Amino acid sequence: MSAKIKKWFMERVPFNQENTSKVMSEIFLREPIPKHMKNWYYALGATPLILFAFMVVTGILLTFYYIPSPDKAYESVRYITEEVSMGYWIRGIHRWASNLMVIAIILHMVRVFFTRGYRKPRELNWIIGILMLGVTLTLCFTGYSMVYNQLSFWATTVGTNMIKEIPLVGNTVLGLLRGGEEVSSNTLTRFFNLHIGFLPTVLFILIVVHIVFVRMHGVSKVEGNENEETYAFYPEHFYHTIIVALFLLAFISALTVILPPGLGEPADPKVTPAHIKPEWYFFAVYSLLKFIPLKVGIYLMIALVIAATFWPFIDDILRKKWPKLRAHYMVGSLTIVLFLFFTVYEIIVY
Amino acid sequence: MSENNNSLSTQKLLVGIFSILLLIVLIIVAAVEMKQTHEPDLVVDISGINKSCVNCHTQKGIAVKAIDHWKQSLHAQQNISCTDCHTAEEGDFDAFYCPESDFLVAKHPTPKDCAQCHEQQVNEFADSKHAHQFWLIKNTDRSIFENPISTRHGCEQCHNIGNLWPDGSIGECDACHPKHTFSKAVARQPETCGECHIGPDHPHIEIYLESKHGNIFRAQEKNLDMNYSSKDGKAIPIDIPVCSTCHMDGNETQPMTHNVSARLAWESQSAWSFRTVWLDETLGNWEMKRSRMESICKSCHSPDFIGTYLLTADLVNFQYNEMRRLMVGYNKKLTENGTISRLEKDGKFYSDPLLNGWDEEPEYLMYHAWHHQGRRFRHGAIMMGADYTQWHGIWELQDDMVNMLKFAAEQGDTEAIKWVQSNDPIKFAPYALYDIPGNAFGINVLSNTLPYVYNAYPDYWERIEANVRTVYENGLLSEDQWRLWSKRCENKDHYLGTKYNADSVYKIYTDRDVIDTKAMNKQAVELKLPGKPFWIW
Repeated sequence: MSAKIKKWFMERVPFNQENTSKVMSEIFLREPIPKHMKNWYYALGATPLILFAFMVVTGILLTFYYIPSPDKAYESVRYITEEVSMGYWIRGIHRWASNLMVIAIILHMVRVFFTRGYRKPRELNWIIGILMLGVTLTLCFTGYSMVYNQLSFWATTVGTNMIKEIPLVGNTVLGLLRGGEEVSSNTLTRFFNLHIGFLPTVLFILIVVHIVFVRMHGVSKVEGNENEETYAFYPEHFYHTIIVALFLLAFISALTVILPPGLGEPADPKVTPAHIKPEWYFFAVYSLLKFIPLKVGIYLMIALVIAATFWPFIDDILRKKWPKLRAHYMVGSLTIVLFLFFTVYEIIVY
Repeated sequence: MSENNNSLSTQKLLVGIFSILLLIVLIIVAAVEMKQTHEPDLVVDISGINKSCVNCHTQKGIAVKAIDHWKQSLHAQQNISCTDCHTAEEGDFDAFYCPESDFLVAKHPTPKDCAQCHEQQVNEFADSKHAHQFWLIKNTDRSIFENPISTRHGCEQCHNIGNLWPDGSIGECDACHPKHTFSKAVARQPETCGECHIGPDHPHIEIYLESKHGNIFRAQEKNLDMNYSSKDGKAIPIDIPVCSTCHMDGNETQPMTHNVSARLAWESQSAWSFRTVWLDETLGNWEMKRSRMESICKSCHSPDFIGTYLLTADLVNFQYNEMRRLMVGYNKKLTENGTISRLEKDGKFYSDPLLNGWDEEPEYLMYHAWHHQGRRFRHGAIMMGADYTQWHGIWELQDDMVNMLKFAAEQGDTEAIKWVQSNDPIKFAPYALYDIPGNAFGINVLSNTLPYVYNAYPDYWERIEANVRTVYENGLLSEDQWRLWSKRCENKDHYLGTKYNADSVYKIYTDRDVIDTKAMNKQAVELKLPGKPFWIW
């Protein structure tokens, strides 16, 4: 019977099963992994991907109840958190996974940066990575505004204010995002649309391209040891990834139980809270902008983003000029120290 | 190769150190931030002299809870501390040195102290009847019938709300905003008003809880946040009114006020109901006060419902006056002809045939017909307390009247004898009547076919109209009210429901009633027991 069904199906979907399975296993299962990665230390590469998957699933569930309108948004989040069965867990996972995804991406970048994984011929994949970081942070920013409480409303207001300072296109982009002069119902529907539609799709495409690049180039090997032995992705690295996914689910659930995301006070456009602050991953930038004029700060940020994006090429130029210089060690360490300093400073001072 | 190894170990070291550092620090940062997404705990800044107060009180265990309450208050959040309110100067009536210190503090912060910041509220309160000294001006019931010790924790405790302080200020803010939280939510809780507005003489909390307002409030109470500000001309944020909603809170059209008299059109606690003239010069006449109340009613109700409901309640007040007239008339007559006498000592009277007295039946009945039954009748009518208008109101008022007339007949009063001996059903209306066709809630097809007066007096509505017209012409009903009454009267067959026919539906119930009556007769009335009574008649 099953042979008959198989025959019926194969006649209508005539793909070469044997060949396909061979190609698939070659692509996915036999991916050569450098020997130095045969270690738990290197099992975290897929973490952002796993967290993204968590967020897609929980995000879809959240849209079942979430209503993106100013007078209902807060109430619907409250309903999800307090009344929907397991709603607090779904929301908690979504929120915590977004926090951990930012941390995971930072860790991934630290690894790539210090091992110079971006070096020729992988420069383009680094740029795709930077793009993914940008999309992820935008997802976080738009997601934070969904709660529509006092903090998120005012963080959205202040955050979008900065866009205005971008040269040439600032005002246009700001108007496009806010849908008016001020943060309003237009802003919320636009942000909602971006958060659940456009941005996840872009991120998904970038993830695919990122992985395709990795697969085309192969995982980068230790610099100067290009002949390092390799082993197949399946089974060891595959199961490491599964275990990491299960660990993350348990870890995030625990975080959700211990520190569930709260609701705060409903947004009130007429009352500006004493302390407006963004989510913690923007603290460093936010803190820095307090020390320097906004305009200078924005230009500085743009310069930093450009430098980060084209770092593989900059690094290459520096190496050619000063072969002994390990610029990436210094730049990387300094960036991390400054990032941590400003982040912690912001949290301690306010 | 060794350079490669060095490079690898340096990379591992850097990646390892920074990864662990970032992981730990950022997860802590994320956790701290996540914790702050909940309502932040209150941060109370206690410094300077106030720190000494708090430390000493805490160490000695004196009024520690008062300090805890203050910490929860908006005062504490805004850094308004002990000495801001308990401030005193040498010679102040309540100044004393806090033991074991050199702090001169005020024992009783008064409205004068509150007015430093809440001047408007204190002034509004002083202009209200809460501040009126009527209980001292007309105190005979208190000082004769009750002994002084009973009044300390009795009438004084409630009338303390209008306390007249040695510093000249009036009131006791914490009667409603309990110290030291001074909470708006507690002040709005109906039970706060009910601390005093309760009991046989003015059961306002009972009336409220009996009303639809009170019932819905109880059902929704858990979900209501009563701690809102009412100063900003916004819509009332709760879906069901509590006492303060109608009498004090603001909405889109009315400012919030601490003058509870600003929206009252009646003096209906007094012996006779009369349209309020309290501070007419600043608050406007009774119509202005009524329109303020109606502005609040309109947050939820339609103008037609409000108009009909309040007009009906107004007519109840007029009706009460006619019953009062009869009670006072008989008291006066019996006093004048010497059947009863006033309390007197050294040429001074301690009871009043027009108001009160406690040692003779007619005086006692007249007092209760005003101070207890009469208030319940009127206040039940204006605040949706049907049982208080009915059984605790008109029924007991009529009972007082019957007992008064029986007493007079026993004492040989010829008119009273005639009344007692009469078999005419109309004897229970020995006074002029007020009425309105139908009620505010709908049309009842059959209920208005029953009243005796409707059937026995073909000129009933002409007589009622004459009475209603008279109060209107005397300025006791507004133009709109008279128009509303006339409209209902012109179309009374509709409002009384008499032009409609529901006989077929009614028959279902009359048939059922026949069955019920039969069952009652069979099971109870006609039941005969073999045993004889133990008492031999």
